Amino acid sequence: MTVLLELDAVSKSYGATEVLRPTSLEVKDGEFLTILGPSGSGKTTILRLVGGFARPTAGRIRFDGADVTNVPTHKRPFNTVFQDYALFPHMNVARNVGYGLMLRRRPKREIENRVAETLEVVGLSGMLDRYPSQLSGGQRQRVALARALVCDPRLILLDEPLAALDAGLRRQMQLFLKSLQRQVRTTFLFVTHDQEEATTMSDRIVVMNVGHIEQIGTPRDIYYAPASRFVAEFFGDNNILGGTISDGRLQCALGAFPAPPALVEGSAALAAIRPEKVRLGTAAEPADIVFTAAVIDVVFAGAITQVLLRPNASPEAIITAKLTSGAAIGSLAPDASVEVRIAREDAVILPAASP
Amino acid sequence: MATRGERIFDIFLWLLAGLVFVVLYAPVAISALFSIVEVRRGDILWETATLEWYARLWQNQSIMDAIRLTLVVGATSVVLSAMLAVALALYVTREDALGRRFIELAVYLPFLLPPIVTGLALLMFFSQVGVSRGAVAVIIGHGAFVLAVIYRLVVTRLQSLPASLVEASSDLGATRWQTFRHVLWPQIAPAVVTGSILALALSFDETLITSFLAGNEMTLPIRLWAMMRVGFTPEINALVTVVLLVSIALTIVIGLRLRAGGRE
Repeated sequence: MTVLLELDAVSKSYGATEVLRPTSLEVKDGEFLTILGPSGSGKTTILRLVGGFARPTAGRIRFDGADVTNVPTHKRPFNTVFQDYALFPHMNVARNVGYGLMLRRRPKREIENRVAETLEVVGLSGMLDRYPSQLSGGQRQRVALARALVCDPRLILLDEPLAALDAGLRRQMQLFLKSLQRQVRTTFLFVTHDQEEATTMSDRIVVMNVGHIEQIGTPRDIYYAPASRFVAEFFGDNNILGGTISDGRLQCALGAFPAPPALVEGSAALAAIRPEKVRLGTAAEPADIVFTAAVIDVVFAGAITQVLLRPNASPEAIITAKLTSGAAIGSLAPDASVEVRIAREDAVILPAASP
Repeated sequence: MATRGERIFDIFLWLLAGLVFVVLYAPVAISALFSIVEVRRGDILWETATLEWYARLWQNQSIMDAIRLTLVVGATSVVLSAMLAVALALYVTREDALGRRFIELAVYLPFLLPPIVTGLALLMFFSQVGVSRGAVAVIIGHGAFVLAVIYRLVVTRLQSLPASLVEASSDLGATRWQTFRHVLWPQIAPAVVTGSILALALSFDETLITSFLAGNEMTLPIRLWAMMRVGFTPEINALVTVVLLVSIALTIVIGLRLRAGGRE
């Protein structure tokens, strides 16, 4: 795939505060790329710089090979879906959606057809005469999408567009957005703080933290191989065990894990272990580390039951296990002593300090 | 349920409100009454009731001239300051506006200063730059005076709009002018109209600044002032009543509009 949008060492400061460190990023033509991070991570700043709502302090932005760093917003060939939708309250749905075409002085007939087509794509046919105040949150969301899609941009920027919707509708819209993106073959640059949302929809995810990129990769890459402690904790509640590298292994209170050769002998490191990789019971494999722990709490959440454990060998490290619900687990009582197993290859070993 | 004490307190409040109402409006009512009937030695002579004095106003050339000038001054100064107020408000609400405080001070001062100071300052300034007293001077004076009112309403409206509206418009390809025309203007137009009516009411009543700048031409309040110095006639009462009715009408319109705007 060719590169559609390229950020080349782009940074942004407000006075002395650097909200985005020099950042380079390539968005490929046709992909669904999500920028994921907590608030203050610089993810919205990137979107605003690409949209032209703010100018970078340094660096260049290129679109389809052309430098657009200093191109004003209204001449940039891509459109935005805003977090608050930003629908024009005095225009009905038809005029909101047709706004971009009206500005391009397209013939009336063409605007009408194009608006009707686009509304059908987003599933809002027959709402032409409604005003934004007469629509539900989900419907406004779709109008905002249609308004951005109607001019056929090659890139659409989406700024946490699902944040204001309730949980059920949000999941429905996630699937809808993903299938819409495949259908219209437009590149989506999506910003969110919701890890599940990013995993569900994206081809690739950019994880950001305090103004820089922590990791770029497919949802699988990031899930199975977090590149830093921040990613491991932010992306899927990994258990973190601290220790030291010795003899090419990470030695921690619960056992030793094989470490990648890049880690220096004697340096501090940590093991990230996914909660669903923690097992209880007696069926040990040779590659497991085994330890006993006290049950702190058992939290039933439908298909999954979460068990909080305090290892006897290291009482300050609380381990979370996510297990398939069942009678055996349901009968676990607080303070019960259990045998815990973790396969050595299931731990991701990371340097303790962020690179 | 209201207790006995509360009920007495309520009655007391109503009486107080009634008293205030009487003190404020009795003189006005008497003025209106005297424009219709004749009063001799404290007795109201109902049989003399007539609208003749109103008809005389209509025939009085100098009063008709004053009404015409008042309307011209009001309309021109309001239109000019409405345009200036919108331009200033658009600029001040921009993120990168320079000298925001200074602009606001410059806009509010002529309205907040004692009119006698504003009037005198304008008079001295105009004589320095060679603008003679008359309609043009009054229009500029009123314009400077009422600017603050329109500006305030428009700025408040603009500040209540989410910044994303303007961003969305330019994102979809609108130039600054197109964004103003299609997005901002429809949003601020009601505020501009309300502010203009309020400004019109102020301009209609304005006396002190006008008296410095009018020269030989007279607006309605100045005409009234001049007539009262000669003697108190039923004609004056009729004129006062006309001024009063126009003011009340404008106030009602403003009140209704502000309330409708608040409910949005």
